[in-house]
Amino acid sequence: MALLEVRDLEVGVAIGGKVLPVVQGISFDVEENQTLGIVGESGCGKSLTSLAIMGLLEGSMLRLTGGSISFNGQDLLALSPRARRAIMGDQMAMIFQEPMTSLNPVYRIGDQIIESLRQHRSMSQRQARARAIELLDLVRIPDPERRVDSYPHQLSGGQRQRVMIAMALACGPKLLIADEPTTALDVTVQKEVLDLMLDLQKRTGTAIILISHDLGVISETCDKVVVMYRGKIVESAKTATLFSNMSHPYTQGLLASIPVVDHDVEWLNAIPGRVPLIDEVLPGCAFHPRCSFAQASCATSPPSADYVSDDHLVRCHFPNDRPSGGEAGGDA
Amino acid sequence: MSAITSFLAIFRGRRLATFGLIWLLIVVVAAVAAPLLAPFDPLDFDPMVRLSEPGWPYIFGTDHFGRDSLSRALFGARMAVLIGLGSVLVALSTGGLIGMLSAYSTRLGHVLMRLVDVLMAFPALLLALVLMALLERSVLNTIIVIGVVYATTTARILFGLTLKLKNEVFVDAATCSGAGHASILFRHILPNLISPLLVQASFIFAFSQLQAAALDFLGLGLPPEVPSWGNMLSEERIYITRAPWLLIFPGALIILSVFSMNLIGDAMRDSLDPRFKDDIAGV
Repeated sequence: MALLEVRDLEVGVAIGGKVLPVVQGISFDVEENQTLGIVGESGCGKSLTSLAIMGLLEGSMLRLTGGSISFNGQDLLALSPRARRAIMGDQMAMIFQEPMTSLNPVYRIGDQIIESLRQHRSMSQRQARARAIELLDLVRIPDPERRVDSYPHQLSGGQRQRVMIAMALACGPKLLIADEPTTALDVTVQKEVLDLMLDLQKRTGTAIILISHDLGVISETCDKVVVMYRGKIVESAKTATLFSNMSHPYTQGLLASIPVVDHDVEWLNAIPGRVPLIDEVLPGCAFHPRCSFAQASCATSPPSADYVSDDHLVRCHFPNDRPSGGEAGGDA
Repeated sequence: MSAITSFLAIFRGRRLATFGLIWLLIVVVAAVAAPLLAPFDPLDFDPMVRLSEPGWPYIFGTDHFGRDSLSRALFGARMAVLIGLGSVLVALSTGGLIGMLSAYSTRLGHVLMRLVDVLMAFPALLLALVLMALLERSVLNTIIVIGVVYATTTARILFGLTLKLKNEVFVDAATCSGAGHASILFRHILPNLISPLLVQASFIFAFSQLQAAALDFLGLGLPPEVPSWGNMLSEERIYITRAPWLLIFPGALIILSVFSMNLIGDAMRDSLDPRFKDDIAGV
């Protein structure tokens, strides 16, 4: 049994009395000590999937319309709000994209770590403070005894993200969801934060779901990759399998979009077009308007997700009939 | 930097606001020490000296019962401070709670905020008059009524601010760390609202002075025997030609107090405004 099992997850957005599906049929497993990457462009449902797992959809126009999420053998959706709160922050934690706004500006960072510690552990203020300093040291904040009394605005973006990581790891969670944790940071700091996360994973055995639109980051850090496009999984496989045998034109397009530094090119590769809006009705494959290999049948019948090899899932009519490589995006 | 020094820093270089603060302190001292400072009993009357001109021993003169105006004004300061603090407390607690809950729970907000809208449709004084007409004249009722009237504006302001704050990522982060609704509202959102609440408090204090004086003047505020600046105006208004000092002194006290509180409020708003603060702290 995997640590986290997501089956047929569906999220809908309520607009004008109708509920439009924005995430459909998402299934994946995350094992302990493993890193799962979720990739896709903006608006593909990556973040929604993570919000659904953390139970953060409540109170917005979004709602969970189907599927099941089981964590550590417990059905998360069947738990009472109180029981779920007991798990959140304790056994599963989340890091957000915006380090600038994810810390409460009126509290010292130490107090915020202490707060999340004391929510789940019975410790004295003193013990919690000592643990907070320890955690800050763990995430390599210099001079943690002094920094513990800093306010968020006194820290840099990278430091704030590290404080977020310290908060998330405070109770030693089994699962950490990182939603684009490095997107808002400088490239040099990005590397540091990622390395820090992986290093901590090695020590604590935490499973990580890393959400990113950067295939480069994913290839370096993840054991398994799920590629999402317009709310559905279009390809998923072990990282090594995926990068040696990319079968979906969208995945190939994403890879081709990464600029190669030592090539002198006039145009950067990009996937033409954009992700279809949620109210656009597409009877066939959602990617076909942007796919350079699209056939007539792609526009009319939706492809099913099939295994092309052991645990390599592809949602495409013609997964193997194309030259694989970096040309899927066409010449933009 | 401690809270008091950072509060005093607001007044550095703001001469008018400093004047307001000093006046406020004088009023508070007068209120606290009224029994010590007052040369006469504010309720004792002596028909022999009625309507005396300001002089010795009646520095502010005497009213038409022969009561010492200065003593009444000093005890009036008591009422001014009591009503100011009381209505600030009522307005901020009820209005604040309504505003925050309404923003937090959209469904509750639909009901509560429409109710607030209805109350806000009435001019403040009219609403206070109607409510006072339904209740007995007493200090407590005056405080409650003025508090309720200004709870509406407080609710509006906190509704907007909470609506913005509850969508901040740090609220999601708090939810993720297992914080419940009460904890999110009062431990994560409320501390971010302290500055606007302080500013709002200073303005409500100022307006409550005017409102209380107006209610007293119209005979619907504090009971007539209670010495308050509004009651002094109300009782002596027919003597405006014979003994104008009876109206000038309490009138000036009301104006000075309202003006001072407004100056303090302006200064606090200027220096505590979160947008202004963000500009400095953000980058």
